[in-house]
Amino acid sequence: MTLPASLDEAVAALTAMPAAVPVAGGTDLMASVNSGQLRPAALVGLGRISEIRGWQYQDGNALLGAGLTHARMGRPDFAALIPALAAAARAAGPPQIRNAGTLGGNIVTAAPTGDTLPVLAAMEATLVIAGPGGVRRETPVSHLLAGRDLLGAGELIGFVRVPLLHAPQVFFKATGRTGPGRATASLALVLDPARREVRCAVGAIAPMPLRPLEAERWIASLIDWDADRKLAPDACAAFGEYVAAACIPDPAPVDGAEAAALPPAVLHLRRTVAALARRALGRALA
Amino acid sequence: MSNDAATATSATAVDGAQTERHPDAPAHGLGASLPPADARAKTEGTFPYASDLWAEGLLWAAVLRSPHAHARIVAIDTSAATGMPGVRAVVTHQDVPGDPSHGRSVVDRPVFASDVVRHHGEAIAAVAADHPDTARLAAAAIAVEFEVLEPVTDPEQAFAAEPLHPDGNLIRHIPLRFGDPDAAGEVIVEGLYRIGRQDPAPIGAEAGLAVPRPDGGVEIYTASTDPHTDRDRAAACFGLEQERVKVVVTGVPGATGDREDGSFQIPLGLLALRTGCPVKLAATREESFLGHAHRHPTLLRYRHHADAEGRLVKVEAQILLDAGAYADASSESLAAAVSFACGPYVVPHAFIEGWAVRTNNPPSGHVRGEGALQVCAAYEGQMDKLAAKLGLDPAELRLRNVLATGDLLPTGQTVTCPAPVAELLRAVRDYPLPTLPKDTPQDDWLLPGGPEGAGEPSAVRRGVGYAVGMVHMLGAEGADEVSTATVKVHDGVATVICAAVETGQGFTTLARQIVQDVLGVDEVHVAPVDTDQPPAGAATHGRHTWVSGGAVERAAKMVRTQLLQPLAHKFGMSTELLQIADGKITSYDGVLSTTVTEAMDGKELWATAQCRPHPTEPLDDAGQGDAFVGLAFCAIRAIVDVDIELGSIRVVEMAVAQDVGRVLNPAQLATRIEAGVTQGVGAALTENLRTPRGLVRHPDLTHYALPTSLDAPDIRIVSLVEERDVVAPFGAKPASAVPVVTSPAAIASAVRAATGRPVNRLPIRPQAAVATPSA
Repeated sequence: MTLPASLDEAVAALTAMPAAVPVAGGTDLMASVNSGQLRPAALVGLGRISEIRGWQYQDGNALLGAGLTHARMGRPDFAALIPALAAAARAAGPPQIRNAGTLGGNIVTAAPTGDTLPVLAAMEATLVIAGPGGVRRETPVSHLLAGRDLLGAGELIGFVRVPLLHAPQVFFKATGRTGPGRATASLALVLDPARREVRCAVGAIAPMPLRPLEAERWIASLIDWDADRKLAPDACAAFGEYVAAACIPDPAPVDGAEAAALPPAVLHLRRTVAALARRALGRALA
Repeated sequence: MSNDAATATSATAVDGAQTERHPDAPAHGLGASLPPADARAKTEGTFPYASDLWAEGLLWAAVLRSPHAHARIVAIDTSAATGMPGVRAVVTHQDVPGDPSHGRSVVDRPVFASDVVRHHGEAIAAVAADHPDTARLAAAAIAVEFEVLEPVTDPEQAFAAEPLHPDGNLIRHIPLRFGDPDAAGEVIVEGLYRIGRQDPAPIGAEAGLAVPRPDGGVEIYTASTDPHTDRDRAAACFGLEQERVKVVVTGVPGATGDREDGSFQIPLGLLALRTGCPVKLAATREESFLGHAHRHPTLLRYRHHADAEGRLVKVEAQILLDAGAYADASSESLAAAVSFACGPYVVPHAFIEGWAVRTNNPPSGHVRGEGALQVCAAYEGQMDKLAAKLGLDPAELRLRNVLATGDLLPTGQTVTCPAPVAELLRAVRDYPLPTLPKDTPQDDWLLPGGPEGAGEPSAVRRGVGYAVGMVHMLGAEGADEVSTATVKVHDGVATVICAAVETGQGFTTLARQIVQDVLGVDEVHVAPVDTDQPPAGAATHGRHTWVSGGAVERAAKMVRTQLLQPLAHKFGMSTELLQIADGKITSYDGVLSTTVTEAMDGKELWATAQCRPHPTEPLDDAGQGDAFVGLAFCAIRAIVDVDIELGSIRVVEMAVAQDVGRVLNPAQLATRIEAGVTQGVGAALTENLRTPRGLVRHPDLTHYALPTSLDAPDIRIVSLVEERDVVAPFGAKPASAVPVVTSPAAIASAVRAATGRPVNRLPIRPQAAVATPSA
């Protein structure tokens, strides 16, 4: 176990020991180690790298350190900046987990139920990746989650660039209980008045967050961006149905035969997504 | 959490032992909220649980478990494991010197599978090595060649399936017949109900330490809940005399069912005997889920007949318990399910057919309120349907049918104990409703789905539901219930020796209170339990409050007589006229007095006594018989908020009224009721161990959602009815199981009221709680 004090030292340590595994909060990694599923030859602890534990402003964006804990992101000062990410961080498990688990960890674990992921997808956040030799490269978060762009040898997520939108944004999570639990479906919706866009991402129902792009464009076209941005309740409900049908489509008919109906549990999931999308849009426009 | 219970006490002492206390003196005797002696150690983390055990030179055990639900074992090759450095012994079915099978109730479960595995997680071999990781790796290195067989996982298919076990697939069948089969009511309602697989999920996973003895025997240190039965079964499997096997009970880290049965203890003991070294086994959470018994998944089909006023005429029911691969306690669970199939209601005619069948699912066994919980959810579902059909208030319909002392159970047994069911139901019905969220600021409203959930106030509907439940106390159907206790007094300090296991039910605290009451001493110690002591029975069904508590009281009274006899003789009065309080013995008129120390005169006083309640009889071929020593009842009113679009449910409040006989320790009683209700909330909403095709899916606490403090409702103990049960020692009824039994039914009833949906399945799935908003 090495404990580097800077991002470049951490990258150097990982390059020197290719079998080593980086660990930040360890809420996912250590569970795998403890259950014997993972036996890392060495660990590179990221907990002492102070440069990635805070955030700064940069050209209308927030540059979030990958080591920000969920607990930190859940606090009011952060919530004033990026409300949806703060809400997702507060929803992510019990306090013990939120105190340890980090933003970067949530991204690299890339669990379908990762709570911050739909928010980052809806924000179209960009990752700043630190590589050997002080190299920094950027890639959209969705490229990493989709596996289009993987972290290379010795690379670490250093920062997450999130645009500051100065408009309402919402994160909703449906779970099977009142206490902290894994999402059965989650949804982030942000308004981007500058680009006149509504962006929405649905989490937990697929391996990565899903973006219903057509539904987004359709609803954005109905909104009067120069006035009070109000919509009829019918439009919100239609948006919900549109998002749900886009994310959980009906099975395609096979060889001209009648398509099989969706099982009841999937239909319920679709109804849940529709309700989340409708409520989120209603809340954002309220 | 409510502390309303604290007001319901009456601190009267047992006969002949009126104690007078200084108002500032610490809690003392029955009726006082004496804190548990180990509370501090448990809170500070210094209490020694089984997983903390250590011995010089110990080896670590690991168990190889079946990855299949049903398979033939073609060959087992242990050579790779045996050859690993650090491995000291590998044992399989060939290494069991005695009886190859075990089981607490029915001996039908192999120590290690030999020719066939019958459930996912069944033990096949065990390894002892000098490091826990070595032991695990060695267990994984044992090569087992399986011929995978089609598993029987649907209990309805078990009747026609090939026998899964030499004992057959039908573990028990009870065709209860009571009254006239041709009786019919004007109104008929039918229902089909499914209850899921709840896991006891103890807070501490199973662990134990086996230490070989120089005489060729072995001592097993573990958190057993039934040490003497376990000792007998283990000795039979080891081929040893019972005297050479000793089970020592360590700190029990939570028990809502059986703990550390033979499937943990016997491999451990075998490894210790084989290696001659102490061997420790600490189960992972996954092994814990795979290794212990669960609540019986149950399928229930009901038909209720009633007259136009809503009085029950006839109940017909079919009850199918999925026992899993081995019988375990299924026979007892079925007896409870069939006997209480109509609930605490008067039913003139009842025809209940019950089966417990073998499948390739994980074994089911004793989990608090087994049998009674499943039927409660079903018969209360039926009562709701009947109320809806007749247009009656659900509480009113229930009140028209409730059981009272003197009524008959469908087993033909007359209810002789107090049965204040109507009083309980009225108490919860008349308790004020909690304020609606619209009356309080919205910020205070914890919506279904939690503080960061997606709940929307306009989609939330509130529902109120009722349920009444009943359980039996102690073993049923002729089980020999006996407990032996010894009380010793020396130098002003009393010691209780009794093999009743403290599982968290509060027995050690109760034993201290009893002795304080009878002997007037403050300092009472309860000795640790081992099998060198006489048996006290399993720590289930409230046995120790009743039977062991009774034995402790008798022994203490015998000591009291020994102490007072010489004085009474000297004073020329009977012992009943002497009082012991605050270390002084005083005559009834206060004229004569002496100190306890003086009376003891340096002597050590001992007495041993037994308690054996009146016998019961097995249910006959028609399900008839006086099978139960005593019954306990409870009524619950549940308030739920349901987001009818998402189907998310939050239990807002549970109002509990319970028939407790007598409050012996108000604080402890309140915690037992709160714990029971919370376990019931889990059974109602989230706890279901899923086993598609017989394979346990996600045996971990991430996916198996136990209630957290946010899931737990406000629990209001609105009434504790203290009508003493004359046959029970102190008149008290055990209190832990009946709230577990009743809560899920009350929650289902409330969700029905909120959504108008039938809710016939536990746990309640979100899609079953979705409703179309009405105008």
